[in-house]
Amino acid sequence: MTDSSGQDVTHPREGEGHPLSASRRGFLKFAALSGAAVSVSMSARRAMADGAIGYHAMDLPDDKLVDMYRTILNIRWHERTQADQMLGNPEYRGYNHFYAGQEAVATGVCAALRNSGPFDQIDLVYSSHRPSGHAIAKGVDIPKMVAEMDFRATGMNGGYGAEMHISDPAVGFIGADGMIGPAPVIASGSAFAFRARGSDQVAVVFAGDGNYAAPHFHSTLNNAKLLDLPLIYVCENNLYHQYAHYSYSCPHTDIADAAAAYGIPARTVDGQDVTQVYNAAKEAVDRARAGGGPTFIEAKTYRYYNHWGAPGAKQGELGAFGYDPLAITSFRPEREVRAWMQRDPVDIARNILVDWGILDEARAAAIEEEVKAEIKAAFEWGLSQPLCTPEDGLKHVFAEGTVVPRQFG
Amino acid sequence: MTEKSWMYAVLEAVQAEMRADPALTWIFELTPPVASNPGMPVINLETEFGRKRVVNTGIDENWMASAVLGAGLAGSRSATYIPYQGALIPFEVIQNVAGKLRSMTGGKASMPVVWIIEMTGQTPGFAGQHSCYEEDSYYMHIPGVRTIIPSTPYDAKGLMVAALRSPDPVVYLYPAGLRTLTEEVPDEQYEVPLDKAAVRLEGSDLTIVSSGGGMPGVLEAAEVLKAEGMGVEVIDLRILKEMDTETLVTSVAKTKRLLTVDQSYYTLCPGAEVIARCAENVDGARFKRVAFPDAPPPASPEMFLWMRPSVEGIAGAARALVG
Repeated sequence: MTDSSGQDVTHPREGEGHPLSASRRGFLKFAALSGAAVSVSMSARRAMADGAIGYHAMDLPDDKLVDMYRTILNIRWHERTQADQMLGNPEYRGYNHFYAGQEAVATGVCAALRNSGPFDQIDLVYSSHRPSGHAIAKGVDIPKMVAEMDFRATGMNGGYGAEMHISDPAVGFIGADGMIGPAPVIASGSAFAFRARGSDQVAVVFAGDGNYAAPHFHSTLNNAKLLDLPLIYVCENNLYHQYAHYSYSCPHTDIADAAAAYGIPARTVDGQDVTQVYNAAKEAVDRARAGGGPTFIEAKTYRYYNHWGAPGAKQGELGAFGYDPLAITSFRPEREVRAWMQRDPVDIARNILVDWGILDEARAAAIEEEVKAEIKAAFEWGLSQPLCTPEDGLKHVFAEGTVVPRQFG
Repeated sequence: MTEKSWMYAVLEAVQAEMRADPALTWIFELTPPVASNPGMPVINLETEFGRKRVVNTGIDENWMASAVLGAGLAGSRSATYIPYQGALIPFEVIQNVAGKLRSMTGGKASMPVVWIIEMTGQTPGFAGQHSCYEEDSYYMHIPGVRTIIPSTPYDAKGLMVAALRSPDPVVYLYPAGLRTLTEEVPDEQYEVPLDKAAVRLEGSDLTIVSSGGGMPGVLEAAEVLKAEGMGVEVIDLRILKEMDTETLVTSVAKTKRLLTVDQSYYTLCPGAEVIARCAENVDGARFKRVAFPDAPPPASPEMFLWMRPSVEGIAGAARALVG
């Protein structure tokens, strides 16, 4: 289909592999070696001619691509380690809405953003109740996030926020939001400010398929288009809002169809392939920085765990297959989970990098071991941090001072 | 009579009303109207009445709240279950439309509508948005809307029957922390009136007034105080609007001491209204409020549990007031 800006809106093809990607990168390398700028632009035309997005990922330097692989692994092993804590450590009090399975979405989008520098120059990310992947991809300090999720006084937000409210503006991670609805509209307000003050910053919101039903979704897109705001709406369609399939809340197969109706350039991408996500994000960021307004990206993805916590999961194993007693109306079948796990974002990223000759299998495995050790150390540090002081609950209500205790009369 | 869980008692009320009235509808998101109880048939409103009458929507509390109002205005009784994720999103339509419509239409609008608004407030670790308990203060402020808050499975059923049969719009607050309570609940339909507080314990030294999620802690503190020899009268408000002033004033006229206990924030907590009404009507009484401080509930259980009114905090305030 074609959106209102005349661009082809692509759809992920079932079982699409990456020989084309690899050959493109090979072709580009060859073209660069032959020193022909003409060949580069020709390759770009060829890339667009079959309806694909400009293949920006293949232009990235090797270390950036390895960083993306490492970020995916950081998220994956954070989630797995935390799930194991929830399942196996009776002392552990933290929880999460696990992001495992969706790693390529946060990683691909944030790789296209400005994540370090002065606060008035970096791009801002608004997250959801499923925030750990977004936070890690944006560059938060993982040990401090681990400490926050276990309510520690030295956690990222002093133990006040925990999982659904983690925030670190210093890296442009405005933060999680436990509610469905408000975050996209608020993100559009940040984009509004960027445009008003002549900044080239962009605002990104990650929201799930469940957000479609909320009036906020429609208000966000309407106003972002009306005001040409530098907003990137990343719809992570993992098929389920809480325990219900998204067909209960959205009449479209592709939620991107709805965004196109608002006159916003919209794409659906394979959310399991970090390069495809990056390509779409790069295109969106370039458009926003150039004053071209908002973009909507629908990433087709899947979560390996149930909506909340680790019911149905086993310690040391990836994913949850057991029945979640909270899911009565509409529960996903185990075969669906296993089918999605066949297209795992970690495997896909590793295979591309090996295919492109950036890593060999041994180095890829060594990086994964490094990441596992770092995440293990992050949990050891986080879970050894001090607990909060009760009276501190009266702080941070206003910029200064404390409020009065009222619980004793 | 059978020992029943909170939600079984509530859905039993809804099921019987829906069987009697084929126009009655139920809208939910994420929280299926399903309950089971040992020795009783499983209640599943969705499968029994079908998806035309029992609708699982997207996450859109604005639609849920507005749709039941529209159904009511069209002559169909209607109820919706708003989970705590969206407890205040319906506020605008309840406050600025439903609450005023009977008046604005000169009495012509009929609104047999129930919004079940779930409150958490009892969950350490959930933080700010998921452990608030402030909905009572907001909704009880609205004229034209009956705002009620049961604290027992028996009242939960009887108030649900009364709410569904009321021609007035009802905000039915559900403190979700009480979901584990069970008690003997009649199988047949019965009404608990929409204008009466309940005296849970009689005594002559001190009146303690609370509601909803505050009640278990109050009753526990009252047992402690009784064992110490204090004559404690405990009143469960049940109805925040229209508040049962007579029961409150009668009690405080006797005890001359009033302690209110709320999990809501101190400012404008239901107890503030209780104290104001008693102060207007009883001379020479003394008053004290226990409530959550005027601060968002922090995630850390250490901070949250210290800030939430506790049995020890309630008993301490009672001793200070009586001693």
